[in-house]
Amino acid sequence: MNKPVEGNTQVGLSAETLARIDALVEQYPTKASALMPSIWAIHDELGYVPPAGVDALVEKLEVTRARVHEVLSFFTMYRTEPQAENVLQVCHNISCHIMGARNIIAHMEKKLGIRLGETTPDGKFALEGAECLGACGHGPCLQRGKHLYEYLTTEKVDDLLDNLRKGEVPRADTDRELED
Amino acid sequence: MAKLTIDGKEIEVPDGTRLFDACTEARGETLPHFCYHPDLPIAGVCRLCQVEVEGMPKLTIACNTMVRDGMVVHTRNERVSKANQQVLEMHLINHPVDCPICDQAGECGLQNQYMEYGLYDAKVQMAEKVNKAKAKVIGPHVILDQERCVLCSRCVRFCNDVTGTGEMGIFNRGDRAEIDTAPGVQLDNNYSMNTVDICPVGALTSRDFRFQKRVWMLKAAEGVCPGCATGCNVRIDHEGGRIYRLKPRRNPEVNGAWMCDKGRMIYKPVHAENRLSDPERGGDKLSWADAGQAVSDALAGARLELVVLSPQLSLEEMFLARLLAEKQDATVVAGPAELGRGEGDELLLDADRTPNRKGLELLGVAESSAAELSGKIGSTDGTILLLGGNPAADAAVEAALQKAAEKSGVIYVGTHADETAACATLTLPGAMWAEKAGIFVNKQGRLQEFKQAVARRGAGREDWRILVEILGDDDAPVSLKALRTLMKDTVLPGTQADLNRLPVLGLVPGSLESGSRGEDS
Amino acid sequence: MSTNDNQILSRRFGRKDGHKLSVYESEGGYSALRMVLSGMKPDEVREVVKESGLRGRGGAGFPTGVKWGFVPEGAEEVYFFVNADESEPGTFKDRYCLDYDPHMTIEGTIISSFATRSKLAFIYIRGEFGWLIDRVQKAVDEAYAAGYLGQNILGSGYDLDLIVHKGAGAYICGEETGLINSVEGRKGQPSIKPPFPAVAGFLGKPTIVNNVESVATVPWIMNNGAEAYKAFGTEKSCGTKLWSVSGPVKNPGVYEIPLGLPFREFFHDYLGGMADGEELKAVIVGGSSVPVLPAAEIMNCNLDYESLQQAGTMLGSGGMIIIPQSADMVELIQVLMHFYFDESCGQCTPCREGTGWLHKIVKKLRRGEGTPEDIDLLEHVCNGMAGLTICPLADAAVMPMRSFIDKFRPEFEALIQETATTGPQTRWPRGEQE
Repeated sequence: MNKPVEGNTQVGLSAETLARIDALVEQYPTKASALMPSIWAIHDELGYVPPAGVDALVEKLEVTRARVHEVLSFFTMYRTEPQAENVLQVCHNISCHIMGARNIIAHMEKKLGIRLGETTPDGKFALEGAECLGACGHGPCLQRGKHLYEYLTTEKVDDLLDNLRKGEVPRADTDRELED
Repeated sequence: MAKLTIDGKEIEVPDGTRLFDACTEARGETLPHFCYHPDLPIAGVCRLCQVEVEGMPKLTIACNTMVRDGMVVHTRNERVSKANQQVLEMHLINHPVDCPICDQAGECGLQNQYMEYGLYDAKVQMAEKVNKAKAKVIGPHVILDQERCVLCSRCVRFCNDVTGTGEMGIFNRGDRAEIDTAPGVQLDNNYSMNTVDICPVGALTSRDFRFQKRVWMLKAAEGVCPGCATGCNVRIDHEGGRIYRLKPRRNPEVNGAWMCDKGRMIYKPVHAENRLSDPERGGDKLSWADAGQAVSDALAGARLELVVLSPQLSLEEMFLARLLAEKQDATVVAGPAELGRGEGDELLLDADRTPNRKGLELLGVAESSAAELSGKIGSTDGTILLLGGNPAADAAVEAALQKAAEKSGVIYVGTHADETAACATLTLPGAMWAEKAGIFVNKQGRLQEFKQAVARRGAGREDWRILVEILGDDDAPVSLKALRTLMKDTVLPGTQADLNRLPVLGLVPGSLESGSRGEDS
Repeated sequence: MSTNDNQILSRRFGRKDGHKLSVYESEGGYSALRMVLSGMKPDEVREVVKESGLRGRGGAGFPTGVKWGFVPEGAEEVYFFVNADESEPGTFKDRYCLDYDPHMTIEGTIISSFATRSKLAFIYIRGEFGWLIDRVQKAVDEAYAAGYLGQNILGSGYDLDLIVHKGAGAYICGEETGLINSVEGRKGQPSIKPPFPAVAGFLGKPTIVNNVESVATVPWIMNNGAEAYKAFGTEKSCGTKLWSVSGPVKNPGVYEIPLGLPFREFFHDYLGGMADGEELKAVIVGGSSVPVLPAAEIMNCNLDYESLQQAGTMLGSGGMIIIPQSADMVELIQVLMHFYFDESCGQCTPCREGTGWLHKIVKKLRRGEGTPEDIDLLEHVCNGMAGLTICPLADAAVMPMRSFIDKFRPEFEALIQETATTGPQTRWPRGEQE
């Protein structure tokens, strides 16, 4: 993380992120309409929105603190607490369920020693349930960051978790950069 | 105009009327509702004001529907009643039903509407209900119970659209959604207690009123807030001689449905410890008979030379004091003009913190500055009569009065043992605004009547009665009604207006001819 | 993938290079835009689309050209939104469109924006599609560089900016006013109508929101004409439709077929029937929010708006969920009721409280604490939700709930009866789904 900006909160935003927010305010038709992408800009840097992030949004977008928190609390992907290194969100909706998502979840719970909704004590893994991730024909699936891991089997999950534990991120099914 | 049929009754309303309001007119009572409020933007979320409009396949909410000519509307048929009942049931499934300890009980939208539109058997056990925060202090005046909340969003809309302060929000979603202030933010604007009024349930309650009184014990009197020149119309809720709270009375011409928190708290001095309860002279309490003698003695010794009025007085009191001064050839002034000033805002609170400066203007009584008034007091050899307003709160006036009291009588008709009472040679206990009836003229020039709510403290008397005694005149009015009749030609010359029957929304003399204002409604 | 004859939208599906501008152009891409901008008037474009019979592919099926016509004549400031918030369980077709062929949607967006006289357009992509957002952004950057976006597009004098907007996890933002509100920087809660967005939408200005699939179809229609499009499908259900197929069939995936194809043919010839060892029990044909049909009923249906409606369900988003005999219907409805409970925006009371209540009752059944009265109670709660809210989410929860009871009541009764004798039992590995 870059140097925090002035302020008495512990975690600040980098000058780059603040500049990104300024650019978004320019790009969007009104200041307030830049709220969602600005929250994403903070997320991109920190993985969550700390109080200093809320301060920056209130100041730059000229919206009330209540409105920022309304939006932060409304959307499931926005977070206001630091997150685990690997947040693994397993789809538990109908298509993935039919294709065995609950077994995948049970397997992961056992393997990680945590229950759905919990984080491992070392902060490496958080296991979350997610509503439909739009991979219904490729289920079961889980999301990590920008990518989806699809057609999950217990073996594939083992491989994923083992690699992540070692600090290696296996190529996701939606990661098609090599094809470019 | 649009003609429509509501529950078989034909009515005609202006184009652009909300169907909700048209239904109120036709039914003689509102549709069931939580979120609709005439002074807030439409939210349409409580889903209670469903009506059937013939020709439309689905039920529709009346609050977001504009009347159309020829509309045929049903508000009480089986389909609508069923929907009312089911939606109300939804409002109540997670409600804690803690009515016995809820301040809202007795004036609660859930209670009242359950009796009229609910009456189903409860199907949810207490253990299955969603739990949320209770008794959370969210500001200096307001306390929140999230479990009682029906998420009508009125308080949020109030803070966003009326005060523009935006402290409140609805956070999270689904049945986890909850009203709150943003983290680190207090509901601390000067209008915060309006959220308590518009909260249709017991979610937002007043910290001041909390656990003080069951609402059904309260009696109400129509008052006008004496806190500033706006003259917000208020309801004084009282019982057993005590005022428990002030609430705004809706007057679209003056205060809409709102009033400020400063105004709400203005009843506190009525019950202050230092109220004057008996006539006093030199620290000795007197009976009114002795006090009357004392006044006569003083005036016999030195004639009445100066009468000092205050913008706190009612129009009737000002008029009578002026009459007294005229009869006794005394000078009548008001002041000091510096008192009763503060900072105003753009909503209701006026920089002029007195209720009746316009009344002085209407009667042609000029206000003196503190310096002028001190000078006048200093150059007076006769008796001085001070009516309300604690003029000695100004140090120069105080000094002048102290000096004057050494050479002649200083009679003060006041309400508290304040600086002026300390200067006076004779104090007479008057009545505070809530203890008497009268007329205030607000900053618009609007004459607004206020009524007596509680009994006067101790031996206190209405100021006009005290003045009548001092006047000692057989022609003096014997009742407030007579007094108003007497003053009518001075106050409203050349009109047919009746000061004893002021319109509900008040009367602006200048606009009488146009007839555009002051209509009874 | 689909057979060649039907390919309007899916020509480049599954190809590794289909997302590149050079490939798209070499296969005729942006020719429709060139044609439109070389002399057509916005109203003429709208008429062609109206004439083609194209209906909104997001779920509601409202005619696209008619919707465009609701923008008030002479409106100065109009906004165009492409709805790629694809969140309806069982639906993943828009993802295919944007992943394999983003330029087709971009071209469609430019033409549609022109037709609605918009100067600023958004593609609103659900936040979970992180990689896809990058991919579409790259394609948009390519389109800007090639002069298809920005000032004076292709020398026509028409200006258009296009913003790729990232959602953040809210099913309800697929509802057009929820989507608009969230871009305004509010919670994504739907607005009361009227006013409709075409009159007063984004920032209070006329706004059109169209689904990706609808927008992506527009270039083909402009190139080939309304008649050519109408040649596909049935009289009232014109054109082709993308179907997202999930569940244990041999070949799940996204298929483009002409509307009106018999389900039986689609199931056997395209999907290859059920996977080995599985038997068909039921199908949710249009995304999780439409009524379920048992195998026997769906087998005789044709896949078009009218036939499906006649069969008591809806085409919806075309998210076809195949349910095998091995599935426990009460378990599946618990999954769905959790979803609607999770996703209700919380604004309207019947939906906020009703979705939570339905979920609680179903959980109670699944815990083995159900009584026969609970089935009636589920129906009672549904009655208190249906048709009483601002947006269709309440109905979206009620339709599967009612149909599961209606079509599979014996399974509910059996569970209640079974647990009445054995006592509470855990049928879910984790006790219950939270």
